[in-house]
Amino acid sequence: MKFINLLKKELAELVNKNMLLGLVVTVAIFMILGGIMKTTINDVVDESKNVTINICDRDKTEFTESILEAMENVNKDPDSNVSAKINIIECEGDDYAAILADNDISSLVIIPVGFTDSLDKKEQPELISVSRMTSAATMSNIDVGNEGAINLIKQCISSTIAADTGMDDQQYQLMEEPVILTENTVVDDKDARISQDSIMSKIMMQNMLLPIIVFVLIMMTSQMLMSAISNEKIDKTLETLLSAPVSRLSVIGAKMLAAAVVALLNAAVYMVAFSTFVSGATDEVTQSVSEAAGVSITVDQALEQLGLNLGAVDYILIGVQLFFTIMICLSVSIILGALIDDAKNVQSMLMPIMLCAMVPYIISMLADINSLPMIFRVIVYAIPFTHTFTAVPNLMFGNNMLFLGGLIYQIIVFLICIFFALRLFMSDKLLTVSLNIGQKSKYKKRNKKNNVPEEE
Amino acid sequence: MENVLEVKGLTKQYTKVLAADKVSFEIGKGEVFALIGPNGAGKTTTIRMISTLLTPTAGDASVMGHSIVSEPDKVRECITYLPDEAGAYKNMKGIKYLQFMAGLFCTDLEEIGKCVDRAKEICQLGERLNDKIGSYSRGMIRKLLLARSVMTRPKLAILDEPTSGLDVINAIEIRKTIKRLAHEEGMSFLLSSHNMLEIEFVSDRVGIITKGHLMVTGAADELKQRYNAANLEEVFERVVKQNEVH
Repeated sequence: MKFINLLKKELAELVNKNMLLGLVVTVAIFMILGGIMKTTINDVVDESKNVTINICDRDKTEFTESILEAMENVNKDPDSNVSAKINIIECEGDDYAAILADNDISSLVIIPVGFTDSLDKKEQPELISVSRMTSAATMSNIDVGNEGAINLIKQCISSTIAADTGMDDQQYQLMEEPVILTENTVVDDKDARISQDSIMSKIMMQNMLLPIIVFVLIMMTSQMLMSAISNEKIDKTLETLLSAPVSRLSVIGAKMLAAAVVALLNAAVYMVAFSTFVSGATDEVTQSVSEAAGVSITVDQALEQLGLNLGAVDYILIGVQLFFTIMICLSVSIILGALIDDAKNVQSMLMPIMLCAMVPYIISMLADINSLPMIFRVIVYAIPFTHTFTAVPNLMFGNNMLFLGGLIYQIIVFLICIFFALRLFMSDKLLTVSLNIGQKSKYKKRNKKNNVPEEE
Repeated sequence: MENVLEVKGLTKQYTKVLAADKVSFEIGKGEVFALIGPNGAGKTTTIRMISTLLTPTAGDASVMGHSIVSEPDKVRECITYLPDEAGAYKNMKGIKYLQFMAGLFCTDLEEIGKCVDRAKEICQLGERLNDKIGSYSRGMIRKLLLARSVMTRPKLAILDEPTSGLDVINAIEIRKTIKRLAHEEGMSFLLSSHNMLEIEFVSDRVGIITKGHLMVTGAADELKQRYNAANLEEVFERVVKQNEVH
């Protein structure tokens, strides 16, 4: 009953209007971003299906006209999946900005005078591509029109040269695509007929979510518990609470549980919000990539065939590891929170935890920790949170011993941290010791003024 | 008189400093005992040890027969502690704070309700109890905390500087409340204060502590007579100076 009373108070302190507003805003932002990404990608995909090629022929030779004719014929070819609208324009001079503005277009390919002459002289002819840049955003500058035109012109030149050298269509096709590549990926003793790139992009998309959730969890639980303890010290409510007929274990237990519950709530909201964003941003791309690649089996089927999909036991193990990660954060936060007696120091004291979370987070996103030089590997593996970030890849690729080793290491670190945390919380030091970075402790200042011992 | 608190040779040694040295005194039922002394004399250390917040290096104290060393849980059931400059949870409404604190002492909802009603009566904050504590003045917070300290009718209420930072009117009200609760309801008080006038008015007996030693204890009048002093302030001055000479 008393513990429930304490827990309710801690939850009421943590779950306030500001925190709920923050969560709602986070979800809204991610959903809006996802929506924007989806719309932008859809626009690009639509644009790529209805390409407009703006071309200006200044050379006006028989050959350049044949290129334009070939371009128009591509549209009429029922076997071709390319649908491009050819817009032939007339322009002069090299004021390209004015040309684009006058013709109300954003891209243009110019075949300059002397193009055919250069080809006849067996020289590389110049081709001019003009495209308007409207922003630094990647998506807004994708220009399929010019790329398509340039490829078609290159194809025309190649086929003309091939015809000149007496090559027939079949030989020309062979020269263009000399091999049919069948990609196979092997994991341990299993293999699947799929490229490594397809597998990697799928795994990356799947694994993108967990490290972010882990990072949010680590930061949130630590900050909440540290603030909860240090605020009680700063406001002098801790002394009142500890002199009440409740055990110190109940006081700290309620704080830990409340911080963990609120952090999990935050993590769940972030997970939903982020997955909405990711699905908005990647669904269309994945579909397009799969269609373009023309793969015979789906990536999910390939993952199953290669034994890379996670089973129920794997998810339980990941859950256990997440639990110990949170427990390590909570126990370290008790120690740090108990040493703070100034609100400004919460952020400074959060720094070591943030670094311990950020280093493995970034490394696990960029590189395989096992491929690092020995000394770095030891340092990175010594950080207990590393094992949480590597849990999914380890389980996926059957590195069970590495996973279990990490889990055991985390349990040992937790036991050591909680031992010192509880010892500190149960001792006089909770009220007599303070650690203030870069400034003299309020206790020390006051005690010096009053000529009393530091500990008092 | 039946003793509510018995302090025997209570000692606290920090790494370098002896903060309390064999402090001994007792408080009877319904008695108001005040610890006075200069800054850093060991008042707060002694009070924190009796409140079970600090562990004594030597000696012991018992509240209603329960040792602070071996039965701290039982001791905490008999006492309430109001620290100097104590705050309350700023985001909590006054009434919720009282309910929360009462819930730590009682498990029965009816009992909790009674405690809160009593606190409401003592603090006289009326409708302001429905506001967040963050909006309270210092005097209002102190009244709320004092009401919290006595609402559960503890055997011993330990109040460190109960009127510090309060205006005269608020301070007088709090002193009257302490005196009334002691004499009418038999509640015992252990106070610490710098304000000699307050001590003389409110306390039945006084203990003067300096450099960790409890130099003298007795009723204010008795001490004035013993030290041939006009008021408690003079007694305090003489005792402190005497200690400096020794």
